[in-house]
Amino acid sequence: MKRFFRLSLSLGTLLLLGTLSACTQHQAKPIAQQRVTVTFWHGTSGASEQTLNQMIKDFNHSQSTYKVVGNSQGDFANVQQKITAAAKSHTLPTMAQTTYTNVPNYVRGGFVTPLDPYLAKQTVGKIAPNFKAATQYQGKTYALPFSKSIRVLYYNRDLLKQHNIQVPKTWAAVAKAGKKVRTQGLTGLALDQSLSSEVDSLAQAAGTPLYQRRPQLTSPEIVGATHVIYDMLQAKTATTAGADGFGNVSFLKGKTLFYSGSSAALGIMQTSTPKGLHWGTAPQPSYQGKRRPAIAGNDLVLFKSASKEQRKGAAAFMQFLLAKKQTLKWAKATGYLPLTTTALKSQNYQKYLRQHPLSKAAAQSLPDGFMDPTLVGYTQYQADVNQMLSQLSSGETTPEKGLAKLQQQVKTMLADQ
Amino acid sequence: MYHKAVIYLTALAGAFGRVMLMLNAKPSVKSTLKALLYLTPFLIITGIFAVWPLIHAFLISSYTHYNYYTNQVGAIGWGNFVTLWHDPTFQLACRNTLLLVLIVMPITVLLSLLIALGINHSRHLAGFFRTIYFLPFVTSTVAIGLVWNWLFRLDGGLLNRFLGYFGINAIDWLNDPHYALAALMVVCVWQGLGVNIILFLAGLNHIDQRYAVIATLDGASPWQRFTNVTGPLLLPITVLIVVNTSITNFKVFDQVYALFHGTAGPSNADLTLMYYLYQKFYVENQFTLAAASGVVLFVLVGSLTLLTYGYYRHRRRQLGGR
Repeated sequence: MKRFFRLSLSLGTLLLLGTLSACTQHQAKPIAQQRVTVTFWHGTSGASEQTLNQMIKDFNHSQSTYKVVGNSQGDFANVQQKITAAAKSHTLPTMAQTTYTNVPNYVRGGFVTPLDPYLAKQTVGKIAPNFKAATQYQGKTYALPFSKSIRVLYYNRDLLKQHNIQVPKTWAAVAKAGKKVRTQGLTGLALDQSLSSEVDSLAQAAGTPLYQRRPQLTSPEIVGATHVIYDMLQAKTATTAGADGFGNVSFLKGKTLFYSGSSAALGIMQTSTPKGLHWGTAPQPSYQGKRRPAIAGNDLVLFKSASKEQRKGAAAFMQFLLAKKQTLKWAKATGYLPLTTTALKSQNYQKYLRQHPLSKAAAQSLPDGFMDPTLVGYTQYQADVNQMLSQLSSGETTPEKGLAKLQQQVKTMLADQ
Repeated sequence: MYHKAVIYLTALAGAFGRVMLMLNAKPSVKSTLKALLYLTPFLIITGIFAVWPLIHAFLISSYTHYNYYTNQVGAIGWGNFVTLWHDPTFQLACRNTLLLVLIVMPITVLLSLLIALGINHSRHLAGFFRTIYFLPFVTSTVAIGLVWNWLFRLDGGLLNRFLGYFGINAIDWLNDPHYALAALMVVCVWQGLGVNIILFLAGLNHIDQRYAVIATLDGASPWQRFTNVTGPLLLPITVLIVVNTSITNFKVFDQVYALFHGTAGPSNADLTLMYYLYQKFYVENQFTLAAASGVVLFVLVGSLTLLTYGYYRHRRRQLGGR
């Protein structure tokens, strides 16, 4: 027993000495030379992560006050999960990449802070108009756009030429082309596992948004808009990706005319294209004379737990990312859209588009693009929408029945709130 | 988490008893305190990582108005359980989970037993087969999910190619809601075999060969030897395997996630209770509902464990044990 106490005493003393010496070393550093560390969680990987790391490095070299430390969490879902856990355990970073639709939850949780006091006045004004609304919640700037993409139509150039089909400008033309090639064992349209973006776009074009405070889900307009996709699936002129996740997998097999997907898929599409297959991009088709492609992607938020200096540093980094040079660098390397009006209109970007015509469709679509409003309970509603659309794609429900059921769910949800 | 807590608590009781025996003392206040001192590190770890989360989950499940981030509780009650009771998605998750347990568990146990008996007979190849069957257990579920995703494919999938030889039309295993659960069951059976075979082999190796020899001398057929000698002697390990396999199948999550590209299959056809919990917690941020579904899962797992243990004790008494 005595030996045990002696051992414990020795270990305790060693631990105490170690701690004290660490404290002494810490104090020995001259305060003036210390940079404020800004921790940044993001979900990029591969080429996007490399570009982001380079941009972080450039920011750190551009000034001597702040040091941004980027930390990739693997993917976007992981970042969300990590934020949920860290908010509870009070171990949040200074800033993180997330979707602006999470902001109401974060505000309710009291762990996100408005960016307004730390941003230069003209910062939000610089952002492209279609991204701007999503930065605001309850009259304050909570999120700045970062990795943004838009829905575009990928088309198989070889098949279109072979069957003498024009690049469709309307959803009706997409359906018609699908019917034309169906008898020859070809599919008209490949869709992602989730039909959410396409139905959302069609509903917007019909003037009855799918996502709004009080959606009118039983209106003939939204039912008609949903029928556009449903009818193509029923007629087997369109397929969903199902367990593949994304429609580009079946599109790149060369037996599908079109793929309605995200502009962010451009890079992976280019690298996965088999030899001999040629494809192009076009803006998403219009419905009832209107084109409303959905804008998706991630934003940047600042957490309340950060010190005042860290908040200033995070804001400085966010502004750095919005600078024309940086946002163009980001867009060119990753396929995401440039975030500011100046960058979008710049000679540099126009020249890039001329050299990379596949990127044109996304840039052309942006003025028509829309983003869902920032709503309380968005994620819960989105899960219900996705479930309904999943049933729709497997033929287990019809637009009439599915939307009516969803309307009931919305009522219950609103009553709960 | 919940079944781990049960295991920890059982282990704790066992460890406590063993420490008391090690101390070679009659239970007294002093010896109990001494035993507690030895057990302190284990108790702390169990308390922090198993017991407290369990209590916390029970508490959260009773909060009907709750801010998860600020820990502010507005009201408590049975509201979350009432919501679950009326939620068709939760009912679907329960149905799918029970189907998984009721179908996958017996098939896994029976197949494991058959394979273990086979391996036990052909000792030359035992090592090779043991490795083959154990591989799924040590392989990452995500990798398994991806490989099975390829095997189940409608176009060019190995399984459909195989069915084609028998004139059966290709089945869209992963995208047809009628077949998606069956596909998941196949993966779960395959993945569960490895560890169960090893456990059965351990059980078989523990049986004294003299019993079988005596039974053979008495003229018992192989089936009689199995039902009267091997089977009863394998009962303890069988109970362990049944409980373990049931718990594993109650908790199926990562196979679904990997197989269906981060969803619960077409039209939620493969929605399990664990997936429901994950969906409510991380995707929909409905933390109290997630906790309540966890409590339901705990009750189901706990009930099944108790029932199986009760049956085991009953059979043991029937067979003349204590």
